[in-house]
Amino acid sequence: MKLTINRQESYSRGELLLRTLFGVFYIDLPHMFCLAFVGIWSSILTFIGWWSILFTGRYPQSFFEFQVGMYRWNVRWMARFYNLADGYPAFGISATDDHTDFQMAYPESLSRGKLLLKTFFGIWYVIFPHIFVLIFVSLWASLQRFIAWWAVLFTGSYPESMHEFNVGLIRWTMRINLYMGFMTDDYPPFSGRADDGEGSVPTPAPAPIAEAPAAPPPPPAAPEPTPEPEPTPEPEPTPEPEPTPEPEPTPEPEPAPEPEPTPEPEPTPEPEPKAEEPASDDGGDDAGADDEPKEEKPA
Amino acid sequence: MGYKEEYHPLPQPDEVTIREREDAMGAYMMMFAAMAAGLPLPIINLIAAIIYYYINRSKSKFVHFHSLHSLLAQLPTSILNAGLIFWSIRIWLFDWELSDYFIGYIWMVVFANLLYFIFSIVAAVRARRGRFFYFLFFGRYAYEVVYRVKEEAKSVSFNKPPGS
Repeated sequence: MKLTINRQESYSRGELLLRTLFGVFYIDLPHMFCLAFVGIWSSILTFIGWWSILFTGRYPQSFFEFQVGMYRWNVRWMARFYNLADGYPAFGISATDDHTDFQMAYPESLSRGKLLLKTFFGIWYVIFPHIFVLIFVSLWASLQRFIAWWAVLFTGSYPESMHEFNVGLIRWTMRINLYMGFMTDDYPPFSGRADDGEGSVPTPAPAPIAEAPAAPPPPPAAPEPTPEPEPTPEPEPTPEPEPTPEPEPTPEPEPAPEPEPTPEPEPTPEPEPKAEEPASDDGGDDAGADDEPKEEKPA
Repeated sequence: MGYKEEYHPLPQPDEVTIREREDAMGAYMMMFAAMAAGLPLPIINLIAAIIYYYINRSKSKFVHFHSLHSLLAQLPTSILNAGLIFWSIRIWLFDWELSDYFIGYIWMVVFANLLYFIFSIVAAVRARRGRFFYFLFFGRYAYEVVYRVKEEAKSVSFNKPPGS
């Protein structure tokens, strides 16, 4: 299951106020009215799907896709209801949205035993435990929404942790719905964290990226650069960690003693542009571009 | 020769995809719609069957046939059930007396529903296997509607200039 609600770089204060004052009339009521009928149809399909799983071990794919579409619609609407996204949510089962997404892989087969387990004991081992925890989580989330409302009003930005927490709450409840709707056999975890690393990801990739790399990125790249022998001919340390292309052949000729102390190039950002630029054509981010000319020169 | 020209060929079980089979099976399961929706009104089943028919009729001829077949087969029982409900309400409000006609009608409705239920299950199972099943009258009619080659499809129309 993949549920994402993108955190926008900036939120509209006007829309926030409009949603708060009149959202019930122009967003919630129309959507709830439609979703009520869709929900009735969904319950019919769930009932039929139950029998289908019992006898064939499969959830009819058309029914499944309808249910996913309905949940996607719900997510679109909830994102606005919780002020997690701007814009007007689209109506319809097959509609999509720029800010939200919900995807669920179709299970080719489902367990009949778990089906019966969910039906007869689901309320005990799924609903009660999750509801108990979710009561407190929801209280905390509602407090965060209240704070975030003011944050958006004054700063135009939704605090990231609060956004993530509220998206997690939606994701959590959605997993319970999917499990109790017989659409998956995976027991819902007591967490709203994303499965595959997806989550509330900022939509565009603008300026803030420059700040972020300062601290976190170096660690992953640090371990690899040690074998690099090439820096020796050049006076400067040529810190670049990225040149991974020729790791094995080169280390043999050069002994390893000296290069190790010199590297450790963690503070990458500053030295790069000044020292290395003259050697290569363009100062892009491609390490491969630096290697190529070196090979060509001797030829 | 004439037969082949008038009707589209029927798909064989191995030609029907699993998705079509499931959709066809779902058409017959609409008889449980009222139960699923929690509203014990026969009209709910009928409405569900109509909705299902209009959603699925464009998917394939196999699904179209079974959806229509299920919808048509549901008409008699829905009408009988609705009649029973209205009659029961009338007795409950005014007469408070169970006539022999009413009791006979109840038995007839029960029998009709039982027949409908059994044959619908059979049809659902066969649809799930990619096969056809024809109810007494409605099977033939649904086949005619779905598989008969329409005159519009056979005739080719040409655009002509004015005055021709």
